Amino acid sequence: MSTITQPKPTAVRRQQNGLTSQQIRAVIGAAIAVGGLVLMVANQMNVAFLLVGLLLGLLVWKPFHGVLVAYSIISVYPVLRIVSISLRPSTGLLSRSLDIIPAGASLQSYSNLFNEEPFLQWAWNSLSITVAVSVIGVAVAATGAYAFSRWRFFGRRPALIFLLTTQMIPAGMLVIPIYVIVAQLGLTNQIIGLVLAYISTAVPFSIWILKGYYDTIPPDLEEAAMVDGCNRMEAFWRIILPLSTPALSIVFLFNFLGAWSEFIVAKVILTAQSVMTWPLGLNQLIGTFQTDWGKYAAGSVLVTVPVLLLFMWQSKYLISGLTLGSVKS
Amino acid sequence: MEGISGLSGDVILDTLGQIIPLVIGVIVGVVVLEFLLYNLLAKTFKLKNALAYTLLAPAAIAILAFMLYPLFFNVLLAFSDLKRDTFNCYSPIALGECELDHLYGLDYAVENFTDVFFRVRDGEIIGWGRLLRTADSTFPVLLGRTILWTVVNVIFHFSGGLALALIMNQKIRFKGIYRALIVIPWALPGVITALTWKQEFHAEYGFVNTLMQGIGLEPISWLRDPVAAFVAVVFVNIWLGIPFYMVMLLGGLQSISVEYYEAAQMDGAGALERFRFITMPLLRPILIPAVTLDVIWTFNKLDLIVIMTGGGPEEKTNILVSALYNAAFGTAATQQLGFAAAFSIVIFFILFLFAIVWITSSGGLKEIYDR
Repeated sequence: MSTITQPKPTAVRRQQNGLTSQQIRAVIGAAIAVGGLVLMVANQMNVAFLLVGLLLGLLVWKPFHGVLVAYSIISVYPVLRIVSISLRPSTGLLSRSLDIIPAGASLQSYSNLFNEEPFLQWAWNSLSITVAVSVIGVAVAATGAYAFSRWRFFGRRPALIFLLTTQMIPAGMLVIPIYVIVAQLGLTNQIIGLVLAYISTAVPFSIWILKGYYDTIPPDLEEAAMVDGCNRMEAFWRIILPLSTPALSIVFLFNFLGAWSEFIVAKVILTAQSVMTWPLGLNQLIGTFQTDWGKYAAGSVLVTVPVLLLFMWQSKYLISGLTLGSVKS
Repeated sequence: MEGISGLSGDVILDTLGQIIPLVIGVIVGVVVLEFLLYNLLAKTFKLKNALAYTLLAPAAIAILAFMLYPLFFNVLLAFSDLKRDTFNCYSPIALGECELDHLYGLDYAVENFTDVFFRVRDGEIIGWGRLLRTADSTFPVLLGRTILWTVVNVIFHFSGGLALALIMNQKIRFKGIYRALIVIPWALPGVITALTWKQEFHAEYGFVNTLMQGIGLEPISWLRDPVAAFVAVVFVNIWLGIPFYMVMLLGGLQSISVEYYEAAQMDGAGALERFRFITMPLLRPILIPAVTLDVIWTFNKLDLIVIMTGGGPEEKTNILVSALYNAAFGTAATQQLGFAAAFSIVIFFILFLFAIVWITSSGGLKEIYDR
């Protein structure tokens, strides 16, 4: 809550008596950590005891850091484990060890993935679909959002509310008609069918975010340009669009992330092996647990790393983009 | 020619041959359409807002074609008897014999909507309708489970996210690192999350059971037991949802001026009072939209359940939307798309009713469309 740093009278009084509560907690925390070490030695060097001891000690010593460290572990451990499984040698795939760096680490699973599964083709299919959806989404939404931001035309409010309502439509409700339409047009197993299906959700969302961003650009800018002899479209093209690069890239990224890992619609529309996207391919690998866990893990690492990097790199903008759509200050 | 991992030159060319013309076609189409339309509206009809309508046109066409038309078509499907056996009848290209004497009709709609709720024999209602195979897949059971699912998830998302955000808002070191680590579940592709956790809940090889045995608990065959499977899915969805709240609420907390707290402390307000009378009210503008979005997302959370449990075991982890998916495309049903369309409309109305009641009572999304 507050971050006021006034000297606390109680702390001062305790200091006069000897130890501050902070110091007492540090001592207890250290004692617990040492207890963990002792238990580890007593139990055939089982590192788990030491780790639990350290964590509990930290919780006592600095509760805030303790909670954050504990939650960070909960967040990250499953991810690290997938990396670890992808590095296991094929003999140790089904080992029940919890170690992060497996004994005899090797890249065998990665080479198996490339040699035994059409992984690159899955990734290529996903990439083509994703890029097409992102580009089309931005291209179609950019001007429409500008109209929503700058004009008060007839039907504007209901249209905005409709755009918001589309976020509420259950995926299942769109999958059924889209599947039937795509099937009737003979576009099942065509990546073009999937692109068209994804555009249905990409466009309303893109408009919503872009409109929020255009709203923050003062109209004076275009008016100044128009006084200098630009017409409205030139002003949009030369001033608003360049200023909106962050928002355009946010929209591109959101559409990219959404389409890159979409599963449900892809599963319904694509059934043939040759057109599978990676989510379908990895799902298929999971079907046969014993043999393919290593390959699955290797594949997940390969498709997740670019997404995580994108997310980390752009996370500030991604998050502000999200709040732009939902909250106005 | 077979390249490495099935990626040959032919495959690349084939894909590019589909994608590039589509993208270029759309962009050229947008420009040409706007040019023609502007000349028509502004020069011929001299409309006041000609440019606005011109700029809207591409998006409007896309939404009309890819959103409104499918939604309309979905309603039409509810008036049909479309299922795997009759698929040919509804195809524009006649592929074979068709046994239906009419394609769309009120009689089908009555049957489809009745089937969602009731089981009828000889014109009499004999019980709740089964949406899938088992008696556990009736409408009230699924609705109840969906509400339980949504409420539990949202409560944990909210309290977990708020607790983390409050801690992160303190003066504390390594904030950037904690934040980057805690946000990771949110950044992972959803499919990877679902597939990975499915493996980790595996009775023998998953780490969940290994950990439980490590601290002396009995292992559980998580995905074989209905209750345990539901707990597992809820756990994963909570794990997924907390970072979103943490980020949103942290943003809200950081925007609250310290002066409020200083003033309150002068007046003798304790930590709890400051939280209740300053933090919560000032968080409201962030909190209400976040909760609204989360309720909708959780209610509609389809892929996690479909991938992790497929709605099983014994169809006992289905919520409404996953039951809908299974009725339409699952192995348990014979693709009863007409019936599924009716079911999807019912689901949408439930959500819509909730949204109206919630938004009007909380005034939650007012800021959004009031501009």
